[in-house]
Amino acid sequence: MIVEIIDVIISGMINGSVYALMAVGLTLIYGVSKAFNFAYGSFYSMGGYLAWLILSAAFINSYLVVFILAVPMLLILGFLIEKMLVAPLRKRDDWEIKVMMITLGLALFLDNSYQVVFGARMKSLPSILEGSYSVGEFIISYQDIVIFILSIGGILILRWFLNSTRTGMSVRAVAQNPAGAQIVGIPKEFVFSATFAISTVMVGVGGILLAQKYFVTPTGGWDILVKSWVITAFGGMGSIRGSLYAAFILGMLEAFVGWYYGMNWVLIALFAVLLATLAIRPQGLMGKWG
Amino acid sequence: MIEIKNLNAYYDDFHVLKDISMTIEQGQVVVMLGPNGHGKSTFLKSICGLVRKTSGLIKYNGQSITGMGAEKLVNMGITYIAENRELFPEMTVLENLKLGAYSKNARAHSRQNLERVFSLFPRLRERTSQLASTMSGGEARMLAIARGLMSNAKFLAIDEPSLGLQPNLRDEVARIIKEINRQGITVLVVEQNIPQITELAHKLYVLEEGRITFEGSKEQALGNDHLKEIFLGM
Repeated sequence: MIVEIIDVIISGMINGSVYALMAVGLTLIYGVSKAFNFAYGSFYSMGGYLAWLILSAAFINSYLVVFILAVPMLLILGFLIEKMLVAPLRKRDDWEIKVMMITLGLALFLDNSYQVVFGARMKSLPSILEGSYSVGEFIISYQDIVIFILSIGGILILRWFLNSTRTGMSVRAVAQNPAGAQIVGIPKEFVFSATFAISTVMVGVGGILLAQKYFVTPTGGWDILVKSWVITAFGGMGSIRGSLYAAFILGMLEAFVGWYYGMNWVLIALFAVLLATLAIRPQGLMGKWG
Repeated sequence: MIEIKNLNAYYDDFHVLKDISMTIEQGQVVVMLGPNGHGKSTFLKSICGLVRKTSGLIKYNGQSITGMGAEKLVNMGITYIAENRELFPEMTVLENLKLGAYSKNARAHSRQNLERVFSLFPRLRERTSQLASTMSGGEARMLAIARGLMSNAKFLAIDEPSLGLQPNLRDEVARIIKEINRQGITVLVVEQNIPQITELAHKLYVLEEGRITFEGSKEQALGNDHLKEIFLGM
């Protein structure tokens, strides 16, 4: 019993860390542009498929190579998609709604493309590190440890980027006060594209990490989009700290509900918690709504 | 230094500025007076590349800058300081100042500008790690001016710097504008009826309903009964 509960807690921590990585990315792009990215989940699948492609190449079987190749690819892809699809809309009125429409279209386009290119059958990725660590009855796989370290590492790199680099500071500036950012001469358009690209990397890396445990499927991104959205809304849209707390709380909730009542209950429980939270605290945990 | 010919500006379909012409010489303090909502802020923003729809000609040191955005203009030394400050609320004083030096030209001089700003506003030096959102109105105003100075500007457009300040802080603002100008920065200030500021003007303009209705020296303004009564309050 005790061992089982510890297992559940660890599973909640591992998933929570990857959710945190992905939800922080979503909250970042929402905080900067105030527009919601419906294709976010499809970029998750893209990370998984990219990793699968790279690992399928006969001469590559290292995750190091996967990250070295996939991260710049996701970054460039995110940047180009923003420049080509989203940026032109920003010149219009009520572009936030149009951005939601076009990213929804992009999500459906990408998911259907995955289906055609990779087939409907799920792909599985090898474990990033085989083996496990055991103390008595209790076992934790090296894979879980590596996933946790990489997720937290990703969040720390983002934190360093936002606090200590010029581009990172300009991202925060646009999120906090777009008019002020323009006054000091920050190129807002570039910041929008860069933020979109960075968030694409974050969710794509989340895809690479989680695909080892849950497979890659053409429509698997929707589950992630919903979870990331629940986390950002629960944490308070636009608040990075809120997303972090929310990701671990919801990761833990998911693990316990899944273990005790079965996986079918997980999304119901997440939404119940979200609705209850928003009813009591409409601004979310750390309150940035609106 | 700045030459403006037939400047028109629009917000959507609203015609805000109508055929404004103005010449500002290097080293001057130019003060623009006028009632609220008649286009003074729009005028400053148009010069600084913050209004999308404009027509006419704006020249800076002989070069046309018409239609250029703030990203370029700030780097060329033209900076706007907003009446509502537009600070970054969840950043510290120091981070706000650092972002004031965002442009390439400013970064090269950021260390000496930071020293200059701290000697002008000693209070900011004591508060480098305070969040901008927790500052009082007067302090936030000083930070906004300081952030503008960090851009290494040669030309500052300052929008109602004494708006909402107590009289003793208005004296402070006037002293700072005088000092900034003494250090070689050309200043265009938009103000209401603030004698301490008008006192500094090499040249005065009055903007009413999007048009310039008076242009001249302080002495000429004092001789103009309409102005004397309405704007100078004397």
